Amino acid sequence: MTPEVANHWYPVGMCSGIHGAQATQLLGQSITLGKTGGQFWVRDAGGKALPVIERFGHLWTSPGQPNRDLFTIPEAETPGRRLVDCGSVRVKCSPLRAVENFLDIAHFPFVHTDILGAEPHTEVERYDVDIREEVDEVWATKVKFFQPQAAKSAEGGITTEYMYRVPAPTCAVLYKTCPPRPGEWDVITLFVQPLTEELCEVWPWMALYDDDTPMADLVSFQQMIFMQDRSILENQIPRKLPLDPGMEVPTQADLTSIAYRRWLKRTGYTYGAQVVAA
Amino acid sequence: MPGRIDGQDIAIWRGASGQVHAWGDRCPHRGMRLSHGFVRGETLACIYHGWQYDADGGCDHIPAHPNLVPPKTICATTYSCAESDDVIWVALRPTDEKCPSLAGLRGVRSLTIDAAAEQVASHFGQAVNAILRLGTADNITLALQPMDADHCTAHALSDARADRTDVSRWLEHQRRVIEGQPA
Ligand code: FES
Ligand SMILES: [Fe+2]
Repeated sequence: MTPEVANHWYPVGMCSGIHGAQATQLLGQSITLGKTGGQFWVRDAGGKALPVIERFGHLWTSPGQPNRDLFTIPEAETPGRRLVDCGSVRVKCSPLRAVENFLDIAHFPFVHTDILGAEPHTEVERYDVDIREEVDEVWATKVKFFQPQAAKSAEGGITTEYMYRVPAPTCAVLYKTCPPRPGEWDVITLFVQPLTEELCEVWPWMALYDDDTPMADLVSFQQMIFMQDRSILENQIPRKLPLDPGMEVPTQADLTSIAYRRWLKRTGYTYGAQVVAA
Repeated sequence: MPGRIDGQDIAIWRGASGQVHAWGDRCPHRGMRLSHGFVRGETLACIYHGWQYDADGGCDHIPAHPNLVPPKTICATTYSCAESDDVIWVALRPTDEKCPSLAGLRGVRSLTIDAAAEQVASHFGQAVNAILRLGTADNITLALQPMDADHCTAHALSDARADRTDVSRWLEHQRRVIEGQPA
């Protein structure tokens, strides 16, 4: 494992779901994690203690030496939000494909039909994308899309505005217009735990302004959306994400994905990537 | 529907006019399997972002950019494909050969067997060939689809008056015998 891959923080569990010791995988290596006397811990296969961080309701660790703190999401800390742990979904795909799918809006009318999108409202207008060098993150802003039912709390179709942020190679944050509170953003994240290059555990998490919808409904809405994505993610060929242009054909609607792939390639993040065109 | 020939994944689909097509099972946009797509008239649309491909495999519509005429270079991989006597034939390489005639026979059942096509042919004492005529009373004939090193699909045909259930049971029995043999 190269340092470019090892020196990141990765999610390995939902804090509320960790009791005794349990085994999982990270980047192809076995690890164990658990909670003893109120303290979370993670150990590698040789028994060595790995660093831990508890944040966003999840437990994070790193097999290497991260040279910076795990990212923060200041917007999610404003008072009045409900923090929603959505559990996890195991998907047979590259962790990078899972992130890329989360950054994509053009699939809404076809994969999340009548929920996040519907024909004939398929057009993706131009939006802004940049790789922010100071923070080493990918951002897409001014993303707009018509949605029949944007969220559990939305009624009827609206044009929703989004921002996407990739703060780490296997994590993405979505900021979305919030129907009950104009001017604020709902925060929906996707934390991906790479089990292997072609298998991942996906942990969605949300920080929403929504006081009315029962928690179980919020979770099942998100799970349903993600099940629809899984039927795509497990059927892309090749399983790994091609980083070199030529194998796949992007369009203007894919600017976020183009920037994400370029950023991964530039930072040498190749776990779950296909670097040489097959 | 998906299919596999010599290790290649294939998407087989039928347009509204009845014409069948066999394409590589991969959308050029983001690699989604085209066999999960949906047919609209004479086009096949990919289920991921709805890109539409015409009968020649060329992309003619990108829903995210409805006013754009897609460049000619975006196209699915197409293979020769023909339908005759209840069987769909696909050639991975261009060929002038006509597909074999199975006139008078009727398709009964397709069964996937965990064995190479060669092994199935030799079980019936024949050289490997697309068609095995078994010379039974019902004229049972197998059209063999080699999938990969360990799998093939036997498409069984027989005389129209043969009892389908009998032929189908017979085929299942043969499969058990073949899969029980050492490769
Ligand atoms: S992958 Fe087929 S349309 Fe995007
Ligand atoms: Fe999706």
